Amino acid sequence: MNTRNQILNRIKFAYLGIVIFSLAIVLRILFLQFFEKQQWYDKQNQISEREITIEANRGDIYADDNRLLASSVPFYELRMDLKTDGLTEKIFDENIDSLAYYLSDLFKDKTKTQYKDDLIKARLKGNRYKLIRRKATFIQLKALKTFPIFNRGKYKGGLIIRQENIRIQPFGNLASRTIGRYKKGRNIVGVEGAYDAELRGTKGIQLMQKLSGGIWMPVRGGTTIEAIDGNDVITTINVNIQDVAESALFKQLIKHDAHHGTAVVMEVKTGEIKAIANLKRTINGNYKEYYNYAIGESAEPGSTFKLASLIIALEDGNIKLSDTVDTKNGEIEYYGQSMKDSHDGGYGKITVQEVFEKSSNVGVSKIITDNYKSNPSRFVDRLYQMNLNEKLGVEFRGEGAPKIIDPTDTLWSGLTLPWMSIGYSVQITPLQTLAFYNAIANNGRMVKPKFVKELRYRGETVKRFDTEILNPSICSKQTIESAKEMLLGVVERGTATNLKNKNYKIAGKTGTTQLANKSSGYGQNSTRTYQASFVGYFPADDPQYTCIIVVNNPSSGVYYGNLVAGPVFKEIADKIYASSFNIGKIDNTENLLADAIPYSRSGYKDDITYVLNDLNISKIGTSSKWINTQKLDTVVKYFNNRMVKGITPNVRGMGLRDAIFLLENRGFEVTIIGKGVVKYQSVSAGEKYNKGDKIILKLI
Amino acid sequence: MVSLLAVYSSTGTLAYKYQGGNIVYYLFKHGSTLIFGLIITFIVHLIPYRLYFGVSQILIFISVPLLALTLLMGTNLNEASRWITIPGIGMSFQTSDLAKFALILYIARYLSFKNKNDLIKDFRYGFQPILIWIIIICGLIFPANFSTSAILFITSMSLLLFGRAKIFHLLSVLGVGIAFVIIIILAAPHISDWGRIGTMASRIESFVGSNKGKEENPVDNFQVDQAKIAIVTGGFFGKGPGNSSQRNFLPHPYSDFIYAIIIEEYGVFGAIMIILAYLVLLYRAFLIVSYSKSMFAAYLAIGLSFSLVFQALINMGVAVNILPVTGQTLPLVSMGGTSIFFTSAALGIIINVSKDNSKEKKSKDKEEDVIEA
Repeated sequence: MNTRNQILNRIKFAYLGIVIFSLAIVLRILFLQFFEKQQWYDKQNQISEREITIEANRGDIYADDNRLLASSVPFYELRMDLKTDGLTEKIFDENIDSLAYYLSDLFKDKTKTQYKDDLIKARLKGNRYKLIRRKATFIQLKALKTFPIFNRGKYKGGLIIRQENIRIQPFGNLASRTIGRYKKGRNIVGVEGAYDAELRGTKGIQLMQKLSGGIWMPVRGGTTIEAIDGNDVITTINVNIQDVAESALFKQLIKHDAHHGTAVVMEVKTGEIKAIANLKRTINGNYKEYYNYAIGESAEPGSTFKLASLIIALEDGNIKLSDTVDTKNGEIEYYGQSMKDSHDGGYGKITVQEVFEKSSNVGVSKIITDNYKSNPSRFVDRLYQMNLNEKLGVEFRGEGAPKIIDPTDTLWSGLTLPWMSIGYSVQITPLQTLAFYNAIANNGRMVKPKFVKELRYRGETVKRFDTEILNPSICSKQTIESAKEMLLGVVERGTATNLKNKNYKIAGKTGTTQLANKSSGYGQNSTRTYQASFVGYFPADDPQYTCIIVVNNPSSGVYYGNLVAGPVFKEIADKIYASSFNIGKIDNTENLLADAIPYSRSGYKDDITYVLNDLNISKIGTSSKWINTQKLDTVVKYFNNRMVKGITPNVRGMGLRDAIFLLENRGFEVTIIGKGVVKYQSVSAGEKYNKGDKIILKLI
Repeated sequence: MVSLLAVYSSTGTLAYKYQGGNIVYYLFKHGSTLIFGLIITFIVHLIPYRLYFGVSQILIFISVPLLALTLLMGTNLNEASRWITIPGIGMSFQTSDLAKFALILYIARYLSFKNKNDLIKDFRYGFQPILIWIIIICGLIFPANFSTSAILFITSMSLLLFGRAKIFHLLSVLGVGIAFVIIIILAAPHISDWGRIGTMASRIESFVGSNKGKEENPVDNFQVDQAKIAIVTGGFFGKGPGNSSQRNFLPHPYSDFIYAIIIEEYGVFGAIMIILAYLVLLYRAFLIVSYSKSMFAAYLAIGLSFSLVFQALINMGVAVNILPVTGQTLPLVSMGGTSIFFTSAALGIIINVSKDNSKEKKSKDKEEDVIEA
């Protein structure tokens, strides 16, 4: 058909055109590949990408009650490009005076003239990276941005900002060795080090590309890997107990001018470390946390080790508490070496219970040598069975290893057994001694000291750490009872009667060790180094906490465990006992009823009204959606808390929930320090804000 | 058609790899779009094409007010108001896609009965009425989307050419059209606040400029340069699937410049395969025309496939920088919501026509029928 042919011919014609165009495309590709190859390869290398890492926010470290122990706070390094394009001679000259004035006024570290001279000099030198301030706060940065020249923006004003996160510890030095100090690129100790992998988070990657003009721009199209913030670590540390432990230890160290000391409080059932203080004398006579003695220092424990010895003898059925031992005149000789009791003249014939209460070296060594001289391995094996020769396996680096030699060791001699029985010739860390005593308090079950309870990510629990059992039963029930009786006797009638009080009972053991001096051994009159310790638990009838105090080298002339270490123990125990509802049922209700009107916060009106209605408290005043309140004699007065769009709201006096709701709804990035009621907000109410601005709230 | 579907899904699969971080999200999104597209193709291919004879009239009457509406209040994506949000569903779609579709259907219908007694050769009664529709629709698309309007205009002209319109008429209309565009471009600096004219003019300028070695518009040149790097580094056999590095630099690697990425990953070889696939599609349409008894069917098939292939060539031409930057997607390969649905519908219609043809000539091509179904 003619028509059809005409149509087909026309289509063929168009098809030909299409084919030609297709060929052109292919030829073009080939042309580019063969003739412009070098040019574009060069270009590829020239316009290059660069990957920058986005630091993840490091997780926070919290105390057991969620109080912040360590957190990262942004600081800003501020520099100035004095040769930036937009900064002309005219602008600089006109504004340098006022800029210098404002800078001096803000930082107060240099005078206006100094700032001015500095900047003019830097500009003459052509400095494009002049340091203005190394650690400026967010608030300072915000103020700085409004200053002349800087308010002209990045390119015209030349302000270069680099954010840096700095680790802060809201409680200062508190438990700082155990929390650890995070510093980039250093070996980190404590929780910061042990949980670094958790705290660190995952770095993000942002691909940047260079545009003409040397500007780096983030590449669009999903190439960014988001940084994942680190997990928060919730420790077992209790700020209140830690505070008491530290201050009590500190007082005692000062009093006795000791070299160093440690105090650790452990919860009996869970093994949670509630406080761990390590203080060492500094050159100028102050005390600071330098080394984690509790975990790292393996030393001869002295008398506190006698408990282990007697437990073995009891467990093997060799003695009963009521058996008598002749300690004679307080002196005994083993292979020509004399061992003395601290009490001159000796105690004569006393019971096993009294041997322990009075901490008689002669008595204990006699019991052990009498029963194990022929088979010392039996004794050592028993010690091993009670995990005393093993590290506890705490997560921190540098745990000291215990050292208990066995009879096959070349260092073993006839002297070893008697001296080992009273805590010499063995080495053990304070934390290991504590764990052993805790096992007694915990009816034979030995648990591993726990420093971290859980890991959280944005408030959600990621991992919970269970209590780890090291030894389900270190000895028989009967032996435990005997051990407890002996420990209680020490405080009731023995070497630590100074700890006795009418409110609650303490059970424990003193230790006074004469440390081997590296140069002169246990020299008679040469420099004697003592270590005073006390380890025990309370309340004796229902043990809740175990605690160890070790004071090294008290140099005031007093060195007995009960006098040097005991008071620290007592102060900690008193404080815990007084403040803990579990232990001491202190009647607080009177105080609560003293105020007829409860303290009320600012916040969401409906919520506050609901609570006040429930309490039958009348309220007066206007009622916007958000209110501030004031307590009058019998009523609560409402005030308007006006919320204006684009203006920072006043959240002071509010609880955290209301404050966060208001601020995050407005796009703030909120950082919180402390707990309770908002006392301070870093961006003042009434200021204008932008979405994504950071605000720090301090709660008290 | 089968081969085309293969390209469709295989290169489509590669498209979401370009999304780096959010692979799963884009995979899922694009994957479901593709599946939905396939479903549309399948459903449409069941509908007898004769139905569109009537529908085309309705569609064109709907699309004109829709276009006007879009122009006035459409969603601003990249400052071009091309999108309109369907109330209720909350899905936005490009009205020009619908209009394009409607116009092609309408022209096919128009030609099929005007051709009976060579009426089309008459300017007043044959040529002018359809020209008015073309000008209205292209004119409405023009301010927001120059390239789509131009492509549609040329596609329509080609259709009229196939419809045995007088070459003289066509050439003179084309001449007027080109003159109009040139005037607009020259006037652009003075009326640049009007719609997309500014972008349009600067793109053309930068195209001309870059060929002269000047850098007029850093952003557009950046795209083109990155595309060229992708093409050059691709070599003959490419870097292999998923190995593109330029995708990180090319804005919209998954739509506008996907062809450059395909060359980078599959080399010249892959590039030729893609072109061949489109040529085969067009050839199939050509066969339909030569066998078809129904004039409407013939124009329908050639119109739809021509517009599809034409758009594809424009996209490829942009990617290899023989044409200035446009926003045209590569049909069936690029990612992008509604355009895929309309393309799928177009494919469905072509398949239906082809199926119908082969039914009529039962003796021949039985296997193909099976394949196409």
